[in-house]
Order: sequence, then structure tokens, then C-alpha cells
Amino acid sequence: MEQAVHLDGITKRFPGVVANDDVDLAVEKGTVHALLGENGAGKTTLMNVLYGLYQPTEGTVTVHGDEKQFHSPRDAIDEGVGMIHQHFMLVDPMTVTENITLGNEPRKWLGLTVDREQSRQQVRELSERYGFDVDPDARIEDVGVGVQQRVEILKALYRGADVLILDEPTAVLTPQEVQDLFRVLEELTDQGKTIIFITHKLGEAMEAADEITVLREGKNVGTVPADDITREELAEMMVGREVLLDLDREPAEPGRPVLDVEDLVVEDDRGVRAVDGISLEVRAGEVLGIAGVDGNGQSELVEAITGLQLPDEGTITYDGVDRTTDSRRERIEAGMAYIPEDRQERGLVMDFDLVENGLLGSQHAADYTSNGRIDWDYTRDHAEEIIEEYDVRPPNADAHAKSLSGGNQQKFVVGREFARDPRLVVASHPTRGVDVGSMEFIHDRINALREAGRAVLLISSNLDEVQSLSDRLAVIYEGEIIDIVDPERVTEEQLGLLMAGQQPDAVPTIAADGEGQQ
Amino acid sequence: MTNDSAIDRLQSASGRLFIAAVAFLTLVVLAGFGLFAPASTPGQIFWVLASKSTLSSTLRLSVPIVLAALGGIFAEKSGVINIGLEGLLIISAFAAIFGADVTGSLWLGFLVGIVASTLLAGVFAIVCIEFRADQIIAGLAVWLIALGLAPFASQVFYGGPNTSSVGTFDTITVPALADIPFFGALFDASPAVYIMFAAVAASWYVLNRTTFGRWVRAAGENPKALDTAGVDVSRVRYVAVLLSGVLSGMGGAALAINIGQFSGNGPTMVNGKGFIAIVAYLFGNYNPVGALLSTTLFAGLEAIQIRFQSGDILAIPNSLVQTIPFIAVIVVLALVGKTRLPEAAGDHYESGEE
Repeated sequence: MEQAVHLDGITKRFPGVVANDDVDLAVEKGTVHALLGENGAGKTTLMNVLYGLYQPTEGTVTVHGDEKQFHSPRDAIDEGVGMIHQHFMLVDPMTVTENITLGNEPRKWLGLTVDREQSRQQVRELSERYGFDVDPDARIEDVGVGVQQRVEILKALYRGADVLILDEPTAVLTPQEVQDLFRVLEELTDQGKTIIFITHKLGEAMEAADEITVLREGKNVGTVPADDITREELAEMMVGREVLLDLDREPAEPGRPVLDVEDLVVEDDRGVRAVDGISLEVRAGEVLGIAGVDGNGQSELVEAITGLQLPDEGTITYDGVDRTTDSRRERIEAGMAYIPEDRQERGLVMDFDLVENGLLGSQHAADYTSNGRIDWDYTRDHAEEIIEEYDVRPPNADAHAKSLSGGNQQKFVVGREFARDPRLVVASHPTRGVDVGSMEFIHDRINALREAGRAVLLISSNLDEVQSLSDRLAVIYEGEIIDIVDPERVTEEQLGLLMAGQQPDAVPTIAADGEGQQ
Repeated sequence: MTNDSAIDRLQSASGRLFIAAVAFLTLVVLAGFGLFAPASTPGQIFWVLASKSTLSSTLRLSVPIVLAALGGIFAEKSGVINIGLEGLLIISAFAAIFGADVTGSLWLGFLVGIVASTLLAGVFAIVCIEFRADQIIAGLAVWLIALGLAPFASQVFYGGPNTSSVGTFDTITVPALADIPFFGALFDASPAVYIMFAAVAASWYVLNRTTFGRWVRAAGENPKALDTAGVDVSRVRYVAVLLSGVLSGMGGAALAINIGQFSGNGPTMVNGKGFIAIVAYLFGNYNPVGALLSTTLFAGLEAIQIRFQSGDILAIPNSLVQTIPFIAVIVVLALVGKTRLPEAAGDHYESGEE
């Protein structure tokens, strides 16, 4: 087999940090190679070296057998190395064709005018050749994330890439889109392209890759064939210690209902019933999971329960009190904690330091104020406690939220919300974009809350997560709860069907008291 | 996100359609009065509207606004909000007269006006792009600099805020066509009016059909996408801002040469046209043709307002009549609703930054 890429002894130092330490990486032509590691393990840095964004401090880059020195992405592109970043580099109001050809437009008439017919033709041919289902004339803002990602891939192919680097390509995709992406990757490798994809998700690396290289703290821990390694072994390679992927826990002992939602209807901005008559109950000492494909009303349900949006119909009873129209502040004071799905948008103020972020939501609480002003000493102690207890790194309360990695931001948000000593936690995608070590930690905490007799409403599109954490699992589809099932006995196929709005046979349903029924 | 943007587009389109429909209906009603009751107030209004001189003064008033608006479109589309258009108009208006006075040629004066405005736009570009100054503050500075500099220079060279007169462009008259009622004004106009129409067409073509235009749009929407595609974002923005200087320069020069004199009292002879230009291109949704149409609406109201003042048609005080164009601007903007600003407008961009 021919080697498409060979990185030899790459060391990349930044002031005060060694991001990559003598890393070797060899990628066979025509294969999918996963670069696996926790956040901050140096995966993206290594790929930025290959893509010419960074110059290595030591080591050599060899592409297709020739040693190369890339001084900019332009050099890398010229040698057939393309990179698809985690945040897409697309111009929203422009069409697919305009985006793909941007900067390399076919021209006519003295080179001043874009040859639009030829661009469209080229894009169509490229799209057909790799079996991409992309409309060349669609606007980027009108197509879904999955299509946008394919446009990014086409953009790299249009520039002649035959080594494609994908940075966390599945982070923004739904499970179905992930499957589509994997099919696309297969098609690309069949046609001789080489794929390197960066991920921190074990399952995806094992599913899509031929070989997996694990990075930890900037070092190459090992390269293994995807076929003969177990999840546990991989997790241990990533984290450097044994990881408990499956939680061992006591059966739930649900107590009185903490949250009781009745016939809830929430309309979205356009008057569509995003939540269409949902009733559910969360009891003390249990985790109620809500599974579903994103965009089936989960956000609106959560916003109505947490008081960010008023429901159009129905009631929300919390601790026996009707709180349907209570304000957000009243709900916080009543002991309702909320882990928002987008930590950067809703969970944290990115330009605030951790002391200030730790105060958010508690700014009215008596403990944090003295004589009508904020008690900054107390607030700082509080932030430092969260940092210590939740192992937020770097352990510096004066660091701005934006300087933390995603996993550490999330740990801080979780820590802040749990520190309220809540009776109900609404956790929306609590581990999205978080590495496996932090994920284990957050799951542990959710379990600890449950054991302490608190009620947890857990919303996640990650099936493993909702299945392993929930005592009962509700499946949401187009604003309705299709069914409530027993997470231990339901199969993934059955869940998949439920999430698509179908009712499979013999689903192990479950009643509110936790008793399974067939 | 997907649907929202589609709805926004629909809403603003229907807002524009609504305005157009109301304007058309009003016109039909007025025409009815004009034909059957020419002596009534609405009838008189119609004949004011339908007169050739109204169209011709509308066009004349439009020239500086449209050209500045085109400049504003290029700058803002590339991501640099240029609210200094007013200043560019002022400086080029003075420089054109001064140039014409010194060289003895109106066209050389016109050129001097363009050069002056482009130089000032160049300073603005360097401050905003190279030194990352706040674009709004730098734009205001451009206005204030010109507002001080032009009357000062006039004071130095002419001993007062007003320059001496240099004469005006001769109108270009197309035989026969110029005699058509109302629309004849299109064929009996100053060369500046023809330059304006040509600039609108050229700007539309450049923005929508050329590679440069595509890069301008990308630079204003997602500069990082353009950068990773191997195009130098700063260079695109420099060219776009300099173009805004060239176009505004043509506007300011045309404005001054149309009168044959620069007057620098108070807000100077430019008197807010640069700011109206911003409104015009926003209302025109960054489309050069849209900017032209919205400008003719404002300029038309201004022309009518001037006629009303002299004609004693409406039994209301002149100072109220003078507010018509401004009220119209507010109403129109309220109805249009959201204009979608380029995503990265106002943001600095430096290659390689996260």
C-alpha cells in the first residue's frame, strides 16, 4: 500500500505549551484514518501542521512520497491536501456553486466575468461523480447542515484535494446525517481519496475508520486497526486510565412527582405547534430521558419548562405549585436548575471571567449580595469551589470563559447549576461536544443527583447517553411524546423507529412508577 | 435558521411591494383628479408630478445621492461600513470647484473631485483595515474632517465659505426624444445624469457577475471563507473602499459643478445627502438598481416639495412642506422592515486569527 501522508517526528511548541510531542502518523492511500483523542490532546494542531496553518517546530511532512514544507493552506491545497473545518467556511447568502468555486472561479471575457454556466456544470459533474445529492443552485442558508458539510467537501475536491482532513465532522450532525456522511466517506475512499478525520467519539472512530491513531497530551499513544479493538481499550488509550463506560447503579426509587407537565402546547415563532400536547411527569429520585432527533420540539419543551418561553396551552406544575407563567427568576429561586444545550449562547458569557459566570442566575440570591451590592468575595469563593469540585482546567477563576476548552466550559456550567442544590435539573444535551473523560464525570454527577433524590429531565440526541442514564425514556417526535419506554430493554432499532415517528411491535413500555410492562 | 431567512426575505419583499402598490394607487387617484378636475388640489398636485421639470430636477437631485449610495454598497458589501459618505461628498464638491477654477476645465475639476474623495477614502480604509479602528467612529471622523476642511480651504482660497462660480456642465440633449412629455427629461440632462445611470449599470454588473464582485460579497459575509479560498480579504476591502471614494467623488463633483459653486455654510451644500444615500442603499437592499429607485423616490419628493413651496398649492406652511421627504423616509423605512446587513459588516478581519 502506498502512503498518502507521513508525518515524522512532528513536534509543535507554542509559548509555554507543547501541543504535539514527537508524533508519527502514517496514513495509507484510499483509507479512512481516525485521529482520536480528548479535547486538547493536540489532534487539531497536528492537522493544522499538515494543512500548512502551523509550521512544525521539528519533524517532517511527507505527502505522496515527497517531503513538503507548507507555509500556508494555499501550499497544502496545491499539493492536494484539503481541510474541512469544524465551523464551516461558507458564505450563507451565496449559492452552492458560488461557494464551491469561490476564489477559483472559471472566467470568461478577459478574465473579468465569472463563467456561471461553466461553474454550474463543473459543480454538477463533481457532485454526481461522488454521488453527492447537492443542488448547485441552492443557497447555503436554505440547506441543512449535512448538505453544507458536503459542500465543504466538494469545495476541497474542486480544488483538487485527494487527502481530506475533517475536523470533528459529526459534531453538528444528527445521527442520520452522520450515517450519510460515513457513506460519503466510503464513496470517496473507493475512488482513491484519503480521509483523515478528527474525533473524540469512540463509536464513530470504530465505525467509520480503517485505522485509528490515538493522541493523548500531544503524544501518539498508538495506531490500531479499527476492527480488532474494543471500546474499552480505546477509551483507556485516550484517557490513560480505565474508564467506566457503563454505569453500574441502583434501581430508581422514585418518590413524589416534582415536575408535572399537562397538555403542553408551545408554538414557535412561525405559529407552528413545536410542542403539541405533551404530558409528562418527573419524580424525585429518577431521571426521565427524552430522546429524539433534534428539532422535534425538544428546545421549545425545555424553554417552556424553564420559563424562557410561555406555553400557549397547558400547565406546568412544579412541587405541587402551578408555575406555568412564573418568570425565569422565580423558577430559579424555586430550585429549578437548567443546563442549556448551547453553553456558549446561553450557558456562559464568553467575555466574562469564571467568577462572573459563576454568579449568573444567582445575582439576586441573598448569599451573593450584601446591602444591595454583589458580594464579590463570596462570589469568587463560589466560583473557586466549582472549579475545584468539577476539575475545571485551567483552575483559574480569573480566566475568561472563552479561553476554556468546550469540555471545561461545560463542566463549569454543570457545576454552577448543580451547586444551586436544585430539586429539578433540566439538562439539555449536557455532554454535547465534551470529551470522554468529562462525559464520564458529568454522567457521574447526574447519577449522584438522582441518588440524592433529585429529579432530572435529560434531553439528548445521544442515544447511548439517554439509554444509560435514564430510568424512563420518552421518545419525542414532531412535538409529541410517541412512547415512554424502558431504556434497559428497548433496542436501538426500536428507538430508531420511534424517533422516526413509527410504532414498532413489542416495545417495552414503562409506567410512571417504574414498573416495566410488556 | 433556514426558514427564518426565507421568511425575512419574503417579509421585506412584501414590504417593498406594499410601498410600490400604495405609491402606484396614489398616482392613479391623482391622475384621475388631474384629468377630470385639474383645478382641484389633487389635480394640481398631479400636474406638478407629471411635469417634465419635476422629473428633471428629481434626476439632478438624485445624482450625488445615487453615486454615494453605490459607493456605500461596495464598501459595506465588503464588510466596511462607510458612514463617511457625507464627508466624501463634501470634500469632492469643494475639490471639484477648486480644480475647475485652477485648471479652467470643468472635466479636470470633476477629476480633481474624484481624486480628493478617493484619497480621503484611502485614509479611512487604512485606519479601518490596517489599524482596525471602529468603522463608525472613523466614518464620522471622515465627515467631520471634510466638514471642517472644505469650508476652511474655501476661506483660505476664496475669502469666504462660498467659492466663486466656475460655470456648469452643458446639458446633453437628444433631439426629438427630448420633446416627449415627462420622460423627455431623461434625454435633456446634464452629463452627470448619464454618468449616474452608467454607474448604476456597471456597479450591478461588477457586483453580480464578476469575480471581484463575488469576492466583495464573500468578504462582507464570511471573510474567513474567502481567506481560506486563497483570496486576500484586506485587498478586496481596500479596493471596495477606494471604489466608494471614486463613486462618491463623482457624486460630490457632479453636485458642485451642477451649481457651479461650492457653498460651505452650515452643513455645506451637501446638506445630508451622504446620509440619505445610506438610507437609499439600505432601502434598496444593497442592490444598485434598488438604490437608484429608492433615491428617485426621495429625490422626487424633494423636487415636489420645492415646487409646492413656490406654487402655493397646498394651504400649509412651507416649513411643514419641507419635512415631506424626511417623513417619507421614516415611513418607508418602517414599512420595509429588516434589511439584511452583510454578516461581517463592521468586523475587522485578520488572516490566521481564530
